[in-house]
Amino acid sequence: MSTQDKPAKKKIKVTQNVDGHPVETEIEVDDVAGPTWGPRAAHTLVNHDIPRLDGPQKLTGRAVYAHDVRVPGMLFGRVLVSPYPVATVEFDLEAAKKMPGVGAAIDMGVKSVKWLGQPVAAVAADSPERAEDALRALAPKWTPGKWSVDREQALAENAPAVGKKGNKGKENAQGNRDETEAAMQNAAGVVEAVYSVPVQHHVCLETHGITVDFRGGSEAKVYASTQGTFGIAEEAADPLGLKANEIETIVEYMGGGFGSKFGMGFEGELACQLSKLAGKPVHLLLTRPVEFTSAGNRSGARVAMKGAIGADGALLALVSEVEKYGGLGDGAHARQPYIYGFEKSYTKSFGVLTNTDSSRAMRAPGHPQASFAMESMIDELSYKAGLDPLEVRLKSLAKNEAYVRQLQRVAKEIGWAEHPNKTAPGKAEGRWCTGIGFAVSTWGGGGHPECEVDVRIERDGSVTSAVGTQDLGTGSRTYVATIVAEELGLPLAGVKSRIGSSRLGRANGSGGSTTTGSLAPAVKSAAYNARTKFAEHLAQALGSQPEQIRFAGGQVEDLKSGKKLSFAQACGLLPVEGLTARGEWVASLAGNGIQGAQAAKVRVDPLTGKVEVLKMVCLQNCGLPINRLTLRSQIAGGMVQALSYGLLEERVIDPDLGLALNANLEDYKVAGSMEIGEIVALIDDEDTREQAIGVAEATCIPGHGSIANAIFNACGARVRDMPLTPDKVLAALGRT
Amino acid sequence: MSQTSDERGETPPDPEALSRRRFLRSAGGVAAGGVLVQGLLTSCETSTPAPAAKAAAPKPQSETLEGEIEIELSINGAQRKLKCEPRTTLLSALRNRCEPALTGTKEVCDRGNCGACTVHVDGRPALACLLLAVDLRGKKITTIEGLGSPEKLSALQQSFWTHDGQMCGFCTPGFVMSIQACLDKHPKASLEEIKRACSGNVCRCGTYPAVFEAALAVAKGGK
Amino acid sequence: MKAFKLHNPSQLEQALALLDTPEAKTGKTRILAGGQDLLTEMKEYLAEPDALVNLKHIPGLDTISAGGAEIVLGALCTLTALEEHAELGKRVPALVQAAASIASAQIRSQGTLGGNLNQRPRCWYFRSEQAPCLKKGGKECFSYGGMSKYNAILGGGPSYIVHPSDLAPVLVALNATAELVSKQGTRTVALEKYFTLPSESDVTRETVLQPGEILKSVRIPAPAANSRSHYLKFREKGSFDFALASVALTLVQEGGTIREARVVLGGVAPIPWRAKGAEAALAGQAPTRATFEKAALEAVRGAEPLAHNGYKVPLVKGLLIRALEELCA
Repeated sequence: MSTQDKPAKKKIKVTQNVDGHPVETEIEVDDVAGPTWGPRAAHTLVNHDIPRLDGPQKLTGRAVYAHDVRVPGMLFGRVLVSPYPVATVEFDLEAAKKMPGVGAAIDMGVKSVKWLGQPVAAVAADSPERAEDALRALAPKWTPGKWSVDREQALAENAPAVGKKGNKGKENAQGNRDETEAAMQNAAGVVEAVYSVPVQHHVCLETHGITVDFRGGSEAKVYASTQGTFGIAEEAADPLGLKANEIETIVEYMGGGFGSKFGMGFEGELACQLSKLAGKPVHLLLTRPVEFTSAGNRSGARVAMKGAIGADGALLALVSEVEKYGGLGDGAHARQPYIYGFEKSYTKSFGVLTNTDSSRAMRAPGHPQASFAMESMIDELSYKAGLDPLEVRLKSLAKNEAYVRQLQRVAKEIGWAEHPNKTAPGKAEGRWCTGIGFAVSTWGGGGHPECEVDVRIERDGSVTSAVGTQDLGTGSRTYVATIVAEELGLPLAGVKSRIGSSRLGRANGSGGSTTTGSLAPAVKSAAYNARTKFAEHLAQALGSQPEQIRFAGGQVEDLKSGKKLSFAQACGLLPVEGLTARGEWVASLAGNGIQGAQAAKVRVDPLTGKVEVLKMVCLQNCGLPINRLTLRSQIAGGMVQALSYGLLEERVIDPDLGLALNANLEDYKVAGSMEIGEIVALIDDEDTREQAIGVAEATCIPGHGSIANAIFNACGARVRDMPLTPDKVLAALGRT
Repeated sequence: MSQTSDERGETPPDPEALSRRRFLRSAGGVAAGGVLVQGLLTSCETSTPAPAAKAAAPKPQSETLEGEIEIELSINGAQRKLKCEPRTTLLSALRNRCEPALTGTKEVCDRGNCGACTVHVDGRPALACLLLAVDLRGKKITTIEGLGSPEKLSALQQSFWTHDGQMCGFCTPGFVMSIQACLDKHPKASLEEIKRACSGNVCRCGTYPAVFEAALAVAKGGK
Repeated sequence: MKAFKLHNPSQLEQALALLDTPEAKTGKTRILAGGQDLLTEMKEYLAEPDALVNLKHIPGLDTISAGGAEIVLGALCTLTALEEHAELGKRVPALVQAAASIASAQIRSQGTLGGNLNQRPRCWYFRSEQAPCLKKGGKECFSYGGMSKYNAILGGGPSYIVHPSDLAPVLVALNATAELVSKQGTRTVALEKYFTLPSESDVTRETVLQPGEILKSVRIPAPAANSRSHYLKFREKGSFDFALASVALTLVQEGGTIREARVVLGGVAPIPWRAKGAEAALAGQAPTRATFEKAALEAVRGAEPLAHNGYKVPLVKGLLIRALEELCA
């Protein structure tokens, strides 16, 4: 790069991830030409189906997750958490310390707890069984207090205060209520309804926690199940009595995060404290019940809406009152009206506090909740006015070419044109009633300058692409190599991918769907820099010019002389130390703003309320697909999660006893194989932006809304309260 | 389904003797290396099955296990010695008592609700978290590590790979084990049979559609 | 779970001797069969036995004899063995349907007939260590005024659990009997009398099985030549879930008339619930939708829903209609 002139600067908007929540910020970057993704048709690996590099390890049980790490002398940790939302506690730490095999025990100094699942003590012993024995030897005596765990309790007149300022969070309002109500005067249809979604859990299959390999010396390795490799070392330093640069964080594999795994958490801190006390490595991965009560959740919501629609399908007015249920936290809810424009709108939102674990970011925070209410309301307004809900959507979104095209395509895929019920639901009779529903999603994505990718080319022809990012199942490990392989004209096998260590170049935490937009451009930049450097070197060696050196098909060609070398031969011309190149973020390679449309087809048994999802379709854009195979998995995976959320999931706490009733995978129901019908994941190739944009969150936003709409379309049962279980369908049909 | 001996027109074997034969085979594992607290089984120290006719062997004594004991288990075709207690589940034994540890079998719920700890016991799928390790003596245990290696994937694993039947991968060993057990008995399994076979396995990332495709591809004889 | 002694008797007499003790009376010694429920109880500290008596090494307890005048099922036969038994599938299809519907393939390969019948309830208060409910010797059934979505609408009180077994309703419909053995001898109990109502019996138990007894076998009288059977299970989640409600049916049809029927409901009561009213409404009638609807109405007569399980009333009605439609199709 020329140092003669200072490059011009330009301002761009980026999406940063703060604890998984996307936050838009403006930053200044150099305005220079640099690597480009190049014409779509020229891709040999990018935008193709590339099987994951780590597939074989995962499939054969060789992949080592934090839960799987085994080091000599390792102790197993267990945490005691409160079964009550509010209580005081006494326990016998000394008794626990005396139990066989115990290496350390900690009293967290909490005499009275404020949330269900709050940790108060931890033990570590030489086997999981003995750790559990030690935990029970604490013999805690809980004295339950007074709490609020649901709406009724929290908003009651003399409710026990959850927060310092009572149980209602700060109120945010937008719009003019009077004007909005006035705009409903001459509407063709007005609908007033309350929609609710329960608190939902992430259900990461690998629970939260770390294995910390510290043996009392001057360094440590932390194997973390985390979405953010960097930042862990800093948190671990203090409890281990080390400096951050004496700690390596390793995240080779992790078993799911979905927004809940940022930072080390109390579980990581306790692990480090226990390790420091015992002078031994500690494996502390939460048990499943504690994972439910204490490792985060998606906030619930209650949305009271009143909407009005014109005879021509114009969305006239919408009043929304949003209550967010985020435990001790404020919760999340995307602003209403969500995506669709109403001529006049007013919205008010506030959090309702309860003595339960604070919600955390969960895949598209606030959007799935908002989508359920909005998409249900759109359909209710449409049917109220005797209009086709697809047409109402197309009219509202007419200015957005992507939505129009996507809705039309998914409508075709789901068979809307042939479907008999369009402006009125089917009758609740016969063996099965079939229905169709629609919904759309939006997301930002974007990227920001945080990743440092290093490409290393050795003299023997081997190539490594390295960066300290994590791969949650998103496929980042694979594109860290794919992009470099393509740039250097190599097959994928010609590039080794190294990720998951804090000793490698920095990378951002995987939140807000910003990884692809932040990392892929940095990988491309590193690849470009490596190729450029290599070309310069070869040009000298071959008496040519850098721009005449071409990398393709595993070979290197000097276009000037026509000389061809194999890649390995070309590498032989490198100096003994090989070649390294670093890449950092390039703003022009990332993009922002994606759209998706979904449709669901269900059938309902009007006698039993059984709902079967026959088919779900999603058409999703994302700029340039980096890996089509893993992209389709993200799209399908989002639909499956929404199906599960919509049909089954709900946290249940007994309000009187204060006990969590379904902190397990039997009664907290997650969709299994028998729930899954045809899932059609379509990549919107009409989006020709040559930009990498992350798509992980967008795809889980609208599915449950489309299912609720399909259920109504099938048989006239409008269920406004998720999950859409048979009891509610029967009630909506008037059978109870 | 296999025919009963009735249907084959044979004289049905003595059910008692059949069960005794099964019992003797299972006890053979004990004799091969376990150290028991009390009551060694005298007539069962060989692993050759007794003949169908009632043997004149003395009645074996009851066995009681307590505290830390050493047992031998057949895992992936090899005999593995390990120390455990009666309460040690097979899951804990695999992950924490084997040297080197076999961590391919995952711990997710420890209550039998998610299928992540699926292993094969005598060719049948079973949950390692709901099995006592000591109860597995004399049985043939297969874990995910026994189905293939990264260098040599099984046909099912290869199909999973190309169809992208794994994302975070934590549920993957359990799914592979469940579906492989199904294909072992029904090589041409239908979509319904495949779904049923893994209906006890939970995937949070939502790989089900790709998993079904991968399994069907193998069932249909392709890749 | 707590550490325990594991007894592996090789003879039934040894097992019975081990169970004829004060420890067995107080639950300090428990029976281990497939362990698919017991181990979960122990992991939740719902049960903390000091010793287990493992029945799996005792010969002769797991045989299935399906061909004769009486079907004999050894209590230690696995659910998979039931599910895959061709002869059973022909003679008593409802039993095989029920077995196939249980849990998952992994659990069925280890779980046993006896274990399935003797399993403890799934009620989330019962399973919660922190809830000292009536069934565990406490003072109150928490589901009664609490979160009752999965609890009983029939026969409930003072405990409102539903019996979770799928095999139980079918075996009651098939008029099966249970053979119980103890050191004192053998006794036979009709399956219909094996399960106990909390209002009529010790609320802390679900069956008449006494400490010291082992359920050894279940016998099913040969079904009549023109008898058919069916089991329909309704779940919230199609994969791996207990029944919200289920219907076990046997039917003898002659020409265009139902001569007799047995209707047993699962998932709605603390015991498999004989819906005698529904049976009477079917007897002598043509198998039409109108008949089915009458039977459905009778099936839920007297139902007393709790705050959150009222849906089970229309659900049971609808499910019975669907089951009859499927069987009479």
